[in-house]
Amino acid sequence: MATFQRHRLTPWLLLAPQLAIVAVFFFWPAAQAVLQAFHVEDPFGLGRTFVAFENFARVLASAEYYRALGITVTFSVGVALGAMALALLLAVLADRVIKGAHAYKTLLIWPYAVAPAVAGVLWMFMLDPELGLVSAWLGALGVDWNHQLNGGQAMALVVMASIWKQMSYNFVFFLAGLQAIPRSLLEAAAIDGAGPWRRFWTITFPLLSPTSFFLLVMNSVYAFFETFGTIDATTAGGPGGATRTLVYKVFEDGFIGYDLGSSAAQSVLLMGLVGLLTLLQFRYLERKVQY
Amino acid sequence: MRYRRPGLDIASHALLILALLAFCLPVWLAFTAATHDQASLYTGTAPLWFGDQGLDNFRAVLSEPVSRLGTDVTRLLLNSTVMALGIACGKIFIAILAAYAIVFFRFPLRRLCFWLIFITLMLPVEVRIMPTYKIAADLNLLNSYAGLILPLIASATATFLFRQFYLTVPPELLEAARVDGAGPWRFLKDILLPLSTTNIAALFVIMFLYGWNQYLWPLLITTESDYMTIMVSLKRLLSSADNLVPWQAVMATALLAMLPPVAVIVLMQRYFVKGLVDAEK
Amino acid sequence: MATLTLDALRKTYPNGFTALHGIDLAIDDGELIVVVGPSGCGKSTLLRMLAGLESISDGELAIDGQRVNDLEPAERDIAMVFQNYALYPHMSVADNMGYALKNRGVPKDERRRKVEETARLIGLEELLDRRPRQLSGGQRQRVAMGRAIVREPKVFLFDEPLSNLDAKLRVQMRIEIRRLQKRLGVTAVYVTHDQVEAMTLADRLVVMNGGHIEQVGTPMHLYERPASRFVAGFIGSPAMNFLDARCTGDTLTLPCGTRIAAPSSHDANDHAVCLGIRPEHLSRVAEADDTTLTTRVELVEPLGADTLAHVRLDGQDDPLVARLDGVQPVAEGDRLYLRPDASRLHLFDLENGRRLDDKDAHSCPSSPSSRLA
Repeated sequence: MATFQRHRLTPWLLLAPQLAIVAVFFFWPAAQAVLQAFHVEDPFGLGRTFVAFENFARVLASAEYYRALGITVTFSVGVALGAMALALLLAVLADRVIKGAHAYKTLLIWPYAVAPAVAGVLWMFMLDPELGLVSAWLGALGVDWNHQLNGGQAMALVVMASIWKQMSYNFVFFLAGLQAIPRSLLEAAAIDGAGPWRRFWTITFPLLSPTSFFLLVMNSVYAFFETFGTIDATTAGGPGGATRTLVYKVFEDGFIGYDLGSSAAQSVLLMGLVGLLTLLQFRYLERKVQY
Repeated sequence: MRYRRPGLDIASHALLILALLAFCLPVWLAFTAATHDQASLYTGTAPLWFGDQGLDNFRAVLSEPVSRLGTDVTRLLLNSTVMALGIACGKIFIAILAAYAIVFFRFPLRRLCFWLIFITLMLPVEVRIMPTYKIAADLNLLNSYAGLILPLIASATATFLFRQFYLTVPPELLEAARVDGAGPWRFLKDILLPLSTTNIAALFVIMFLYGWNQYLWPLLITTESDYMTIMVSLKRLLSSADNLVPWQAVMATALLAMLPPVAVIVLMQRYFVKGLVDAEK
Repeated sequence: MATLTLDALRKTYPNGFTALHGIDLAIDDGELIVVVGPSGCGKSTLLRMLAGLESISDGELAIDGQRVNDLEPAERDIAMVFQNYALYPHMSVADNMGYALKNRGVPKDERRRKVEETARLIGLEELLDRRPRQLSGGQRQRVAMGRAIVREPKVFLFDEPLSNLDAKLRVQMRIEIRRLQKRLGVTAVYVTHDQVEAMTLADRLVVMNGGHIEQVGTPMHLYERPASRFVAGFIGSPAMNFLDARCTGDTLTLPCGTRIAAPSSHDANDHAVCLGIRPEHLSRVAEADDTTLTTRVELVEPLGADTLAHVRLDGQDDPLVARLDGVQPVAEGDRLYLRPDASRLHLFDLENGRRLDDKDAHSCPSSPSSRLA
């Protein structure tokens, strides 16, 4: 890479705004979180005591935490798999019809722009136990829908709303990935006697695996963090904690329960988890990213 | 070459159209609900067709202070706009400069700066929410636009995307500019920025959506209705312990909350798709 | 217009790799110097050091007698034509050409005048408002030239400027570059890996290998008296044939028994030597005698004006190439008797590759270690 040489000050001037923002609003809070995780705040907020790993021990010993972990995993797997499978199906269909693929893309892309909170509200209305249209349909099928009381249904509600929003993102990537597959490969397979079904599973699907992996990571991150709005606006973690994910619990314990030490310890644990996810992503990006 | 199978084609179109309809249903129902008054909504299940109260409902949420909020939706939309624009422009501004320094300069500690900036990609604001809130409070940023905007700029997505783009700029362009007597600032202004316009547009779309759709941070940092964003107001509208949920107002507000980002994405689809797909590279 | 003096220029990268091991060269005013060598020989690095795009690790670079080691590219008053042209894609042709002038603060009117003048000189008047992507490869090449010319620099630097053009256009642009450079009288350094381009363009040729200069001289001098086996093999197409031989007194004996009168001024009595014969200095004879090589034809390439015969010497593995006049009635499998022109043979030391009959020739033999580079 060609570079400017003999400019000592300029790069620092260029970096200053970003570094300042990152220092104040990223590293400082992150360091605070780590510090906090090893302390217990006294009830009046006047001082704090170092307690080593006590907060972590407390968190890791609580059944609530494992429940939230389980809920997070269920929720994330549901959202990631649902949004990806649906997107892949639609992308394959759109890719094969040639005519109209672009129109479908335009018509399917907009839910990505809808805020998670709004997505939640829209679905909540459709499934409202009293006047929801879809819940009425379900009632006709013999399903008594009330996500305000039924934890499983509450989970289904937030999963569906989250899938609805995330699907378009995956669709864009899958369609781009499909359109990048050289036609000659599929033609060669066809000449070798592979039917459409076999062609998909032996050629298309393996060639899409980088896209799929990337999307898996992105969808997990989405399900972990960005769906906070969906959950808070619709179920607020309820009923009875049935939709209380790890992130929601950090928020609840910190801002509602004022258990700062526990909340911080959970933050640190989450950071570790996300770090792991990102590491995976970077390993995947490694081929493409040269520092 | 493709095997034409008319039957499969029709089936594909049919499935796609079905999916499209299913995807539009929530928004359709929101529209129809927003055009009825509360009394007619609660007479049965949600209506599939429009009522005649649409104008009144929208006028009401836009002009009259919403119950439990003490402010009207116009103000909320304004706050959301300021926040989204602030985040988009702020991120793009600092990202253009930072990525420029990292790609086009060699200086001591460059590697460290690179990692300091890009490690922020790992931890979304949700993870470090408590301490960030505390720092915002210490800096007197609660209930202010600065407080809404600044902490959300502290992630390197835009910087990363600009870096990716800068790496694709042929090095000879920089060399030619140096031979032509352009220093760093002039190269940035005359060559790099004009070449980045598409990328800036793409990032603007992505960052505008990101800013507009923020939920948790504005929820925490705004307690006064003067700075509340439209996303946060939705929950307040819904949380009615005793009364019936005013769905027609909720849906009108939700539609107004979707309108700007959906408009941005539809109008700037070309850049948005490019921005997304580039982000993967 | 300027002279260029390179005094022991060295380039060592931070990772310890040395790309250039001390380059000495004096370039006269108005001279067109072509630097040629295989990829990785350091020729591009050298050019970029002249341009100021690479720092100079050691040694001194002077333009018109003034040290410029630490000057920015723009301050050296040089212009460079890049391999991929490096035109600014968002600027019109006129803006591309005028950008350097603008950066120097030349007023708009004068800029316009100079750009138009240059455009006339190289036939770009019609294209001044176009964007680079609306131009053909040849036109882009011309704009890149125009951008260099309009600044009236002291030195032109060319970095393989023709390698992205098709063969026909390359020949045409080659002639044009030569014509323009002579007309403007500007000192120029031209880097290429194409030895035909190098031979036809150069006032003087610099052959580089492994970060060293192998030889400097006029194209014909290098062709006729290559200072090393490397230069001999690099200059000339098809490449020179090399054979092992024994030199006894004034006779060269080949392993196949052929005896040839040795070049007069050699000093390698009774030594194993490397004998170089250019393909055009092998002529076909009807009968074998003890001054001919008996070969068998493996492949015939009729080029029209002459015919290339790829042959194999009897009892030896090394393939030889002979350039025969006109269209020759030879076929694969034929027996061919070839007589080397005794007056145009080249002898090289087997170990260091240096020319044996010419101690005075400028030569910097490359050591085995530097060849690795």
